[in-house]
Parts: sequence; structure tokens; C-alpha cells
Amino acid sequence: MSRYIVERTFTEGLRILVTEAGAQTCLGVVDRNADLGVPWSFSYVSADKRKTLRVYDGPNPEAIRQAAQRNGLPVDHITRVTVLDPYFYR
Amino acid sequence: MSTTIETDLLERGPFLVELEQRLEESRVAGRLVLLGGEAGVGKTALLRRFCLLHRETARAFWGACDPLFTPRPLGPLLDIAERTGGALEESLARGAKPHEVSALLLRLLRSPSPSIIVLEDVHWADEATLDVLRLIARRVEAVPALFVASYRDDELDRSHPLRIVLGELATLSAVSRLRLPPLSPAAVGALARPHGVDAEELFRKTGGNPFYVTEVLSTGGAELPPTVRDAVLARVARLSPPAQKLLEYVAVVPTLVELSLLTRLAGEAFASLDECLSSGMLHAAGDAVAFRHELARLAVEEAIPGHRRTALHGAVLSALANSPMSDPAHLAHHAEAAGDAEAVIRYGRAAGDRAARAHAHREAAAQYARALRFADRLPPEERAELLERRAYECFLAGELDEAIEAQGRALEDRRRLGDPLKEGDSLRSLSRLLRFVGRIAEAAEVGREAVALLERLPPTHELGMAYGNLSHIFMTAEDAEGTIVWGTRALELAQRRDDVEVLVYALTNIGSVELASGSPEGRRKLERSLELAQRAGLEEPAGRAFLSLVWWPLLRLRQFDLASRYLESGLEYCSEHGLDLWRLFLLACRARLQLDQGRWAEAADSAAFVLRDPRSWPVPRIFALLVLGVARARRGDPEVWPPLDEALALAEPTGELQPISPVAAARAEAAWLEGEHEAVAQTTGAALDLALRRRVSWVIGELAYWRWRAGIKEEIPPGAAEPYAIQISGDWKRAADLWIQIGCPYEAALALADADDETGLRRSLEELQRLGARPAATIVARRLREMGARDIPRGPRASTLTHPAGLTSRELEILALMAQGLRNSEMARHLHLSSRTVDHHVSAVLAKLGVRSRTEAVAEASRRGLLAQTPQVHTEN
Repeated sequence: MSRYIVERTFTEGLRILVTEAGAQTCLGVVDRNADLGVPWSFSYVSADKRKTLRVYDGPNPEAIRQAAQRNGLPVDHITRVTVLDPYFYR
Repeated sequence: MSTTIETDLLERGPFLVELEQRLEESRVAGRLVLLGGEAGVGKTALLRRFCLLHRETARAFWGACDPLFTPRPLGPLLDIAERTGGALEESLARGAKPHEVSALLLRLLRSPSPSIIVLEDVHWADEATLDVLRLIARRVEAVPALFVASYRDDELDRSHPLRIVLGELATLSAVSRLRLPPLSPAAVGALARPHGVDAEELFRKTGGNPFYVTEVLSTGGAELPPTVRDAVLARVARLSPPAQKLLEYVAVVPTLVELSLLTRLAGEAFASLDECLSSGMLHAAGDAVAFRHELARLAVEEAIPGHRRTALHGAVLSALANSPMSDPAHLAHHAEAAGDAEAVIRYGRAAGDRAARAHAHREAAAQYARALRFADRLPPEERAELLERRAYECFLAGELDEAIEAQGRALEDRRRLGDPLKEGDSLRSLSRLLRFVGRIAEAAEVGREAVALLERLPPTHELGMAYGNLSHIFMTAEDAEGTIVWGTRALELAQRRDDVEVLVYALTNIGSVELASGSPEGRRKLERSLELAQRAGLEEPAGRAFLSLVWWPLLRLRQFDLASRYLESGLEYCSEHGLDLWRLFLLACRARLQLDQGRWAEAADSAAFVLRDPRSWPVPRIFALLVLGVARARRGDPEVWPPLDEALALAEPTGELQPISPVAAARAEAAWLEGEHEAVAQTTGAALDLALRRRVSWVIGELAYWRWRAGIKEEIPPGAAEPYAIQISGDWKRAADLWIQIGCPYEAALALADADDETGLRRSLEELQRLGARPAATIVARRLREMGARDIPRGPRASTLTHPAGLTSRELEILALMAQGLRNSEMARHLHLSSRTVDHHVSAVLAKLGVRSRTEAVAEASRRGLLAQTPQVHTEN
């Protein structure tokens, strides 16, 4: 398993209402991702809601793209990342 | 069985309902359910109950795979044939192949009332049975039958053959998966209560596994054995001494034990059978018995002291040896456990032959290896023959190092025996294996030795094959002259001796180099070779002819029409005939074709499929690695270099153009996209020299092109293929047109990236963005900005990418027709496509929507609002 950050642009802005429907939308994504072995950890959303940075664990970039496609989500860029801990070097 | 605790209905209701639904669907179109679960979770109990519930309306057939060291080929089908008799039984008796067996079985099931066919424990299945499963999955919709294949999902390691099959079947509409989970704490509590057992503790120790739970409770409930093994042994200890003895006999036979056999083995102890049955340790199945559970059998077998176990196996061996019906794989198993060398050799060889006939190559190789472990005492002639058979089966199973090792040992024996015909043939086989792993120089040397030796004799089939082998080695090196010289010798000999196999071999080699050089005569030769091979039932040479008709057009001519024409039919032929080697080659070709056509997601999928195969055939692996690396590089995804580095490590030692040049081109492309222009010169130099020496124009062109892109100033090398040469010379417009004609959209867009006007660059950018080629698009956008252009698009709008879950317009059409309830054949007629193509699209739609059935697809599509966007299609008639 590697960790990836996926950048997405939503030109119209991302709107997920805090309603039952909104919850269903998110859980649907969680379910489909779990099927592919690409659990969705969490996302950062820009203030204007046009840009998201999502953190994923997955086996390879293809699985990330496949998950995006199944969920009908755009992909700008996938970056593989590791954690740099500022206190590691002390 | 009074002491047996019934757990099989607890928490199993939903699974029975699910199976019932599948059975209902199967009345219209057959279904295959893959039922997974850990050992002891109650798969068999569930299926027994299910068959019982539907016994009035559906016939049930059961076949089981055995936990032998090496399984018997088509074991479960033999069980089923025993019940059906007739054509199926006859065909199995004469060693029918998987595609014949599956066809016969499906024909048998064509009846008005549905059947349930249970294939138990397919994680133990041999390759031939897995082939049958594959074929059934693709055809089952034609018959009213519900197939259920059960397996232990906790025993499938990464390279388990069943895992590959499960992956392949995942997207078929007729196939669904069902996983049986262990019992919940509540259910365990319900079971434990009457026994006064601490339910929490019981759940902790058993993990809710019904078998463990049952076993633990059956041992008396008051005591809690630390392991199931102890539980089993404790139960055994409570039986009378003769019953314990009887259990030992049953335990050393890893399958059902016929009662007739058991009487002979156990003598007086046989009288205790009822005791064993009523204790719940054994259960009866027709006129045979077995342990209620494999785990119990293992526990009992392991507890037998070594010397006694040997004696028991010896007793089973001699009892079985007297019966003409005995399976040699069973006999070999007992012979080895009994340490009876002579019997291991005899039965191991027979079992290997039988497995080889059934295309179960891995099993065949293992059975021959078993016999060879005792081969010190064999005369060299017999040992050499056994080694040669093993080498061939290892080769077919993709175990190449083992194949070379066995063939080398066979050659030593042959040299000692001094029969030049057999020695020459053995040399030729070794040469072939060496060529296959890319040790070309050694292959040529050994191949020449074979010819020299065989030429001392009058012309033979073996000499013809040795000529063909040398021709093949030159063909691999793309040396047309050498290929034709040796191929012609083979051809003349074939005509003189009327030898079809040699003829096919020679035609494929000569045809390949002619086709690669662009001569239409080459294609005619290959098509003739294919036809002759198929007519003569030469399956492997036919597979190779298919591959040649795909490989050369794809890689040396870029004629995608021709390559596609033989790709799908070749894949089908190779699947049906168990030609896994050529199938993987063709799959690698498919990945490459999809990459060239700009279908990168599909290309990466196809490549991943090849890479999942645990067998170590190098060339398909190299090509799949390259496709994966390049697809990532073009999309700007991470992890470009690990696959490209592995490909380099595999290709470099061969020194051969065929593997080396695509690796060089792929690495140059990836380096250029990363802006590492200096790396390109060093990456491509040696490969370009080699290509120039061999005069392979597409390779010269491609490598020269990347060097030019990286800013290396040099003359356009002679022989460079047209679109590349034209591009380098500056005519980007014509180069782009040529790439479009060839069918390579990415190359065309890159050609336009050299445009000196804004219009051309904008077209390039738009096309690159459509393809999702982010790094190249960034380069072009920068050029536009430098030119002073404004309003440069940032990429496809999210709405176009989110459009229909990435479905193509054709797939949207298919989806709309699905929603209207059309069958595949009706869709095919409606869209003027072949049924197979429609099948393919339907699978693609299901995969992209992440669903398993057409019904789910329509539901999912309407949920996502995909159906509203597609035009209604008017049905004809």
C-alpha cells in the first residue's frame, strides 16, 4: 500500500449538503473505493470549493484512477507521498 | 448423527435466499456463483441444505477437488460423470480436453428443468478443472443451470492459480461472488447456551468458525480445548480402539474412501464404521465415506506415528494397485508416503502423462518430478525420457529454469547412451529453451550442434525440426537471411518427407521475417501455416502462428487492422486449447495496441492482467511492464520508473533487439516527459546501433525521434520509418496526418506540438487534454504562452471528465439498450456488431459502473442519471 494525494478541480464548485442525500453521496464513494482496495482517508477542500486534495491509500495509481472513474470524479494530478515528521531529526 | 450440532441454518438465511435468486435467474440464463469462505465456515453445509430445499425442482450434481499433493486432472468432473454416465464419462475416460469436457457438460444440462452443479473446494483444483471453470463461466448463460464453485478464500496466496481465474471471471455478467462469513458472537452464544459454555470465551477461541464451534461443543462443552486439533483428537480418543484404527485408515486417504477398499484395508475394524459415523467424525456419501471435515482428517493423520503412517500408506497402495479403476495420482501419493520407490516411479509417470493429456501442465511437471526423486535406480534411457517429459511440461507451465535444468540432465543421459537421433533432438529442445529465456548465443551454439549431429544420419523429422529451430533463432534476432537459409532447408526436408509439423515451423519463421519486412507474401505464408496447423491439430504451432500474425503487424508495420483481426480470434483459440504461453503474449500485444491507440486505462488494465500471472515467461512481462510505465508517464502519474527499471533488468542480459529496443524507447519517452534530455542519448545509443545493424525501420525511426526530441543534433539515420523521418525533417503537419491514418492519436498530437502557428498548437493542446496527457499538454501550453497566446485552456472541464463514468459513446448506447431489456444478440443485430463485441462492451460497462449484473448496471446508471443523457433507441421489428 502506498499513500497518494489526488488533486481535483471542480469548476462549478463542490457542494455536498449536510443532508441524508449528502451522506449517501459520500458513503457511496466510500463503498465503491473499498471494493477496489482504495480507502478514502479524508480530503482538504479549498475555501472557494473548487479544488480538493484527497488522501488515499492504494496499491497503485491505476486503482486511484479507476476509483475516480467509478465515482465520476475528475483527476488533475496524482502524487505519491510519504510523511516527513519535523521532529524525526531531533 | 445424534451428537452433531446443527449450526448450518444459523445466520445462513440470506445466503440461501441469494442462491435461490441465482437459481431463479438461471432458468432464463445460467449462472455461476463463486462461494468463498474460510475452512470450516460451512460452505458444504449451506450447499447441501440448498440442494435439499430445491430437490423437487432442480437436479443436483456434486464434484469435489481433492487435497492431494498434486491433484488428479478434472477430478470433480469425474465425480459428476460417474452420475451422468454417457458421453461425458466416455470422453473423460479417453482423456478429453477441457474445452470438450465443458462443451459436453453444458450440452448435458440443456433441459427444461434447471440443474445445480456444485464444484467443491476449487482452491485444490488442477489446471484442467480451472480451464473448464473458465469456459463454463463464459458460456453458462446458454443453459438453465446454476454452477456453484466453493473455495477457501483464506488459502489463496498471491500466486494461487485460482486467484487468477477469479480475477478473470470478475466482470462476466453470469458470475457472482458470495462470501460466507463466520458466525456472529450472538449466534455462537445461542449455540453455546444449552451446553453451559462461556460464549464469549468460545467466540474468542473459535473466531465464530462453525466447524471449530461445533467441534469444541461436541467434545463435551465443559472442557475448552486450546486448539481444534486437540478437540478432534479428544473426540477420537473417546472412540473404541477398533474405531480409532478405522479412522486412521480413512485419514491417510485424502479423498472419499470406497467402502469396498475400506473393508479390505481395515479387516475386523470395519465393523466399527457405524460408531465412527454416529460420532460425527465420518459421514457417508453413497458407497464411500470421508471425514466430516478436512481439518479433522489432517489432525488424525498428523497424530499417527511416522512408521505406522508409512505402513498404512503401503497398505492403501497395495489395495488400490489391485483395482484397475484406481487413479494413478492417488497411487503415486500413497507410494511416495509409503517410500515405495518403484511404485512412485511407475504411478508418478502415469499420473504425469494423464495430467499432461488434460493440459494440467503444472500438475504433470510435479508428478514427473515426484517420479524423478526416485530415479537414481532407473536405467538412463528411461530417466532421460522422464526428464524430457518434465522439461516440456515445465516449459508449458512457465517454469523455465526448471525446464532448462531437466533438459540439461536429459542431455547428459542421452550423450552417455550414444543414440545420435535422440541426442540431437535433446540438443534441439535445450536450444529452444535457451532461446526462450533470451540466452540467444548459447541457443545458437547448441542448435548448430544439434544440426551437425543429425546431418550425419539420413534426413529425419528431428533434423527438420533442428533446421526450423536454427531458423527460429535467426528470426528472433530479425536476421532475415539466416532465417530464410535455415527455413528453406527445413521446408525442402518437409516437402520431401511430407512432414506437416516441420512445414508449419518453417513457414511461420520465413513468413514472419517476410511480413516484418513488409512483403505481402509473408502474410500469406503465415495464414497458410495457421491453417495447416489447425487442420493437423498442431495446437502449439497454431498458437504461435496466431501470435506471429499479431506481433509483426503491431510492432514492425503498425498495421493495427491486421493485428486486431488475429488478436481476438487468437486469444479465443489459445484460451480454449490451454495455450497459456501464447495467450499471455497475445494479452501483452493487446496492452500495447491499446496504448498505441490512446486507450491508456484499458492498456494499463491489460498490462496488469499479464503482470498478475505468476509464471515467469520474460517477453510478455517485459512488454506489459513497458505499457504500464509509459501509460503512467503519459498521464503524469507517479511510479513510472519501477516497471521501466524491471523491464530493463529483464531485457538487458538478452542483448536482443526485440526486448531491448522497446525498453530504450519507453525510457527515452519517460525521460523526455520529465525534461531529463541528457538521459535520452545514453538510453538509446546501443539500441539504435543494434537497430541500424538489423535495419529495422520502425525501431530506427522511433529511437532517432526521441534523440531528436531531446535536442541531439544528428543526421536522420537511413531507413527510419516515414512518420518519424518526416517529423524530424520538420513537416509536422504531414507527420500528424500519417499518425492519424495509422491510428495513434497521441503521436499525432505530439507531432502537432511542433506547429509554428497558434492554430496547430491549440489543436495539439486540445487533443492532448482530451487524452489526459498532462505532461505533454503542459509542454505545449508553455509554448503557446511563449508565443503570446491568451486564454489557454487549462484542461478538459470537469463536466466532460465526469461524464458517464468514463463510458465511451458506444458503451452508452449499449447501456441504453440494456435498459430497454435487449439481449446481447439483439443488441448485436441492432448495432450491426458481432455478439462477441457486444459481450465485450457489456463487460466493460459492468466493470466501469462497478456492478456485477445487467440489472444492477441499469439501476446504477439510472441512479447516476446516465440513462437520461443517452438517446432513446428505436428497436427494429
